[in-house]
Amino acid sequence: MNQNLYQPIAGEITDIIDESPTIKSFIVVPEKEFAFKTGQFVELTLPGEGEAPFTPSSSPADTKKMEITIMKAGRVTALLHGCKKGQKVGIRGPYGNGYPIKDFVNKEVYIVGGGVGLAPIRSLFLTLVNRIKDFKSVVCRFGARTPEDFIYKKTLFGPWQKIDGVKIKLSVDKSDGKWTGNVGVVTTILNKDDVNIESAVAIVCGPPIMMKFATVKLLEFGFPAERIYLSMEKNMSCGIGKCGHCMIGKYYVCKDGPVFTYDQIKGYPNIWD
Amino acid sequence: MEAVFISSLKLLLDAVAEEMDLYVPKKADEHFVYIRYDSSAETAVEFNNIRACTPVKEFLFPLRELASIFPEPFEPKDIKPFAVFGLKDCDLRSLECLDKVFLEDEFRDEFYAARREKMFIISSDCFDPGESCFCNVMDGRPFAGSGFDLNISQVKDGFIIEVGSQKGKDFIEKHPEIFTDVPDDAIARRDKNRAEVQKQLQQQNADLKFDLPIKEILESGQDSDVWDVEAKSCIECQACTRVCPTCHCFYLYDTRQKDYFAKMKMWDSCMRCAYAAVAGGANPRKILGDRLKHRLMHKFCYFLDRYGLQMCIGCGRCVDADAGGIDIRAILKKLNEEIRNKGKAKVAK
Repeated sequence: MNQNLYQPIAGEITDIIDESPTIKSFIVVPEKEFAFKTGQFVELTLPGEGEAPFTPSSSPADTKKMEITIMKAGRVTALLHGCKKGQKVGIRGPYGNGYPIKDFVNKEVYIVGGGVGLAPIRSLFLTLVNRIKDFKSVVCRFGARTPEDFIYKKTLFGPWQKIDGVKIKLSVDKSDGKWTGNVGVVTTILNKDDVNIESAVAIVCGPPIMMKFATVKLLEFGFPAERIYLSMEKNMSCGIGKCGHCMIGKYYVCKDGPVFTYDQIKGYPNIWD
Repeated sequence: MEAVFISSLKLLLDAVAEEMDLYVPKKADEHFVYIRYDSSAETAVEFNNIRACTPVKEFLFPLRELASIFPEPFEPKDIKPFAVFGLKDCDLRSLECLDKVFLEDEFRDEFYAARREKMFIISSDCFDPGESCFCNVMDGRPFAGSGFDLNISQVKDGFIIEVGSQKGKDFIEKHPEIFTDVPDDAIARRDKNRAEVQKQLQQQNADLKFDLPIKEILESGQDSDVWDVEAKSCIECQACTRVCPTCHCFYLYDTRQKDYFAKMKMWDSCMRCAYAAVAGGANPRKILGDRLKHRLMHKFCYFLDRYGLQMCIGCGRCVDADAGGIDIRAILKKLNEEIRNKGKAKVAK
């Protein structure tokens, strides 16, 4: 079958949620059903303007619509932030491997997230919670710059914390005066006994600097490099392992990732930059 | 391999050109480029010289092409058969690399595939390698062994035409009137010519010898100063990646036309500063030396790890084109020298 790899399918933005001063979530309804695995990403096109990679933050169980959480970080994301409901978009994908959920079964799942890194984590979280009995527990350590910068506040500060089998701890770099939780970067709330390392997997997603220090800490705790799963953010452009922009060593992040174990990529230069 | 003989080159070229668009080498200053064959032209086609300075990839993966239209579906146009005459072994080996990337089962690039399928390749022996040619060091030869439809070798009184594919065989069978049997001594003469050119290459590259496989030399040279030192003369013109027949990076960008939106594919270069940068500003290779290193690591290590094939074919185009004077051979030599000095090298064979 001839299929043009560079052809997006059409979609429409049907709702926009303000998450934080710099982050919005967009509900995107593709013209046809769109299945993806949690942790995979899509290339979202603003027609005529540009395209950028995003991991949907919604549960893969919903194939009729997806939620994409976007931080205003560059030209395309700034234009997307300026869009209104009804905006037509293009979608290519899904691309990449996604989280290997089957390898998490019967384990404690230790999730470390920061900033807009909670977007892919939300999709993972919803997937795990959907079948929570398959996992020993889901232990989350999330950070944001200030309380206002947390995304998914409505669920994160309330309902998610009450789910059986889920333990969540939050931290902010800077308090707003009303914050009663921990103050400090997210690594300050990581403790060796948060999970039983022998039977746990760690998942890290956030800004590169946070991922670096979280990984260092997890290694110090004794997590083996092959059980630390990192969602790498590189310049994924074509999505199909050809254009070259997202390479980490021999890997194309778009095709072989974006989820890698630290063990896979630790030998290559500049992985955190 | 099956072979036939033809006494006149023009007979062959005219027969090909009758069936399809034919591109032949033409001298332009001191280089060769490809032009459309003109049967009425008075000057003979020169093809025994150095490979063209332009890469063969441009026939399959143009500098810029329309990749999609939004929201209407857009598929690659039907491609008419076309022929390229005079490609060298290095060119054919560059196609092997590109095929790995663009024809892989999982994500087949139909734009590339459509052209590749319709391309008729008539390769030729290399009689006159240039100073920058080092294919012999990269496991290449000055004559093709596979990857062609027909291969032409000039000998006394005519040309041996070797058949390399069904397409080539069909062509020969379709034109029995222009071919004859290969004369008795022709193959021996051809092999003698080939051996002489091989010897010439070995002599000119005699000092390009390595103590370890190139992959290992690069891997152990990752922390070397060589990258930053060599990159000092780079003016970021990106000529090296443009002319490289195996470099295949591209930039996918959106554009707004009068009455439609489109995505375009355009050649890109990993030597460009913002190449790997992300929207937030992070850039794994801000430093020019790191980009140079990545380019060579990709060629000699990453591609090999991934596809079992090295991505440098020793054609020397980058050496000829580099405005900053960066020479891939010199970098490899320096890295090898460093290993030798560190005492890591095995006894040189």
